[in-house]
Amino acid sequence: MSYCVNCGVELDATAKNCPLCNTPVINPNEIKKDNLIPPFPKEKAQVEEIQRADFGWLVSMVCLATAVTCGILNWLAFRHNLWSLAVIGACVLLWVILVPAAIYPKLTPYLYILLDGAAMALYLYLIARMIDKYHWLWGLGLPLVVCTTVVVELFAVAIRKFLKGILARGLYFFTALAILCVSYEIVIDLFRDVPVGLGWSAVVLTVCVIMDIAIITTLSRRRLRNEVRRRLHF
Amino acid sequence: MPDHKEWYKLDLSAIVYPTLQRRDFSSTYRLSVLLKEEVDPDLLQQAVDVTLPRFPTYKAAIRKGLFWRYLEPNDRPGPFVTPDVKNPCQPMSFKANNRYLLRVYYYHNRISLEAHHSLGDGTGGMCVLMTMTAEYLRLLGHTEIQNGGFVLDVNEKPDPEELEDAYMRYANSKICPPRPGEKTYRIRGTKEPFYTLNIIDGIMSTSEVAAVSKRYQCSITEYFNAVLLYALLKKQAKDKRFHVKPVRIAMPVNLRRFFPSKTLRNFITMIYPGVDPRLGEYTFEEIVAQVHHYMRYYVNDKFLRADITTNARTQSHPLIRVVPLFLKDFVVRQFYTKVQDRNSSAGLTNMGALNVHESMRPYIERIDICMGQPFSSRTNCAIISFGDVLTVNFASSIVEADVERYFFRKLVKDGIHVKVESNREIPEASES
Repeated sequence: MSYCVNCGVELDATAKNCPLCNTPVINPNEIKKDNLIPPFPKEKAQVEEIQRADFGWLVSMVCLATAVTCGILNWLAFRHNLWSLAVIGACVLLWVILVPAAIYPKLTPYLYILLDGAAMALYLYLIARMIDKYHWLWGLGLPLVVCTTVVVELFAVAIRKFLKGILARGLYFFTALAILCVSYEIVIDLFRDVPVGLGWSAVVLTVCVIMDIAIITTLSRRRLRNEVRRRLHF
Repeated sequence: MPDHKEWYKLDLSAIVYPTLQRRDFSSTYRLSVLLKEEVDPDLLQQAVDVTLPRFPTYKAAIRKGLFWRYLEPNDRPGPFVTPDVKNPCQPMSFKANNRYLLRVYYYHNRISLEAHHSLGDGTGGMCVLMTMTAEYLRLLGHTEIQNGGFVLDVNEKPDPEELEDAYMRYANSKICPPRPGEKTYRIRGTKEPFYTLNIIDGIMSTSEVAAVSKRYQCSITEYFNAVLLYALLKKQAKDKRFHVKPVRIAMPVNLRRFFPSKTLRNFITMIYPGVDPRLGEYTFEEIVAQVHHYMRYYVNDKFLRADITTNARTQSHPLIRVVPLFLKDFVVRQFYTKVQDRNSSAGLTNMGALNVHESMRPYIERIDICMGQPFSSRTNCAIISFGDVLTVNFASSIVEADVERYFFRKLVKDGIHVKVESNREIPEASES
């Protein structure tokens, strides 16, 4: 048996360090520890996944029923325009947003974001088809959807791959918000055929830059960072 | 008529626990029994299947109503026995695990039961675990094991008193004392990543601890309370805080000792022994005296009855009852986070000496208890003894083990032989 020289407690025969003070266990008389059973297993558990298949089925059935009945109504009864496309598009959008994430929670989130963007683009296309006007779709609708999807994808990459924590998330959020607003204004200016320039998005950009600088300063100072984390933890 | 009720109201304590549920936190506790031989998982599963119907409030799922949550019988398959894990007391989603709020694990000679606090307190959980263990031992061929103590007869129907909300029977004091609301010292520490719960078990001799407690002229619970307060004071001094704060321990008291009830659901209330270092420096003997007198003054049926009456009156207030559940959840969570959780620096529970029937005693080596993950960055201490083996368990979600170190070093200094076991991962860098 080994004892911690600092704490005076007896240590488990499989312990390599004292769990109280990290002092290494060096006992020349007890070298072979391979056959001993440690007091705790080595495997870590993950939180059990919630089975949401029932919810997925319910949403699928409701969306399908709504889309089909509206389509039939549009075809047989209210035939003045293709209004059912708006409802069908909304059902597809709702389904794409809710169901894949519920049924297959293990898929990469980048794919969900991409699917959501594609569903939004499809919805806009169906509305354009309904009103039979496409110029706004190519000039405004689709570019806005593409910008949003790209920025959200980048935001997801930043959250998952780089610095984690509430402060870092704040930094990514304000950066993404600034990029999004600037790109929106550029797309709108191009669509309106006016000279491209920063107007309202410059205000958002300024606020976001100030917030980013404040967050970077906090992140770079450990004491400040810990204080903010303590106060903002949730 | 059905054998059991079709649903159960949550008891007075159980109402709070689901509102505190987060993605990374559940109010779960763990009870373990170490046998003298390896556990057979197939037989253990049979024992679980036989035992659980005897405890209808444990074979239950939690559901949301418009105003309150409730328990309803759960007839889905499970809970299933699984190999033990390194990080116990994982968050327990109400919708996962076939909606069971129980987990049963095995590891070599150890059987562990994890239960959500909404189902019941440690006494109720211990009844489930010991009945299950007795049934397992009988399946192994030890048919001489008899019922008694925490072991109930699985063939008899549950006594209605076992399923009652005992708070309501005894919440009839004429006055309602205010809840303590002073902010206390909170441990500063580096939060461990999600899925990590650091456990340190200290195993010692009950008779040695009893002798030391006698030397300080206090009970074992009072002694451990005093040692934990001493450790927290040392930790606060080490933190070099500008504003020193009072140090207080949240300690559940088993109300069955004062108000007879067979309930297997929650029947505990909290007391808060503590010291205020702003008044001056305390010697260990002074801390012991402070805790001793606090306990003698507050732990009696009069004060405890008044305390549960305060909680019961809040719950039964007509205006509170008509508020929708989501608003109640919001208010309770805010109150708990801003007031209740800050009211204590650490948690400590002592389940005391565990009694089992003599026929079962030879098969049990030790019994462990773990209070589970703390709500905030602090440490929870749980104590239980079986025969001459006393286990002190610390569970925390922070990297630093300062409080645990001061605690066990004090025990060693007082002449108690302590053996330490842990699941902590020591960084490679510090091993050299």
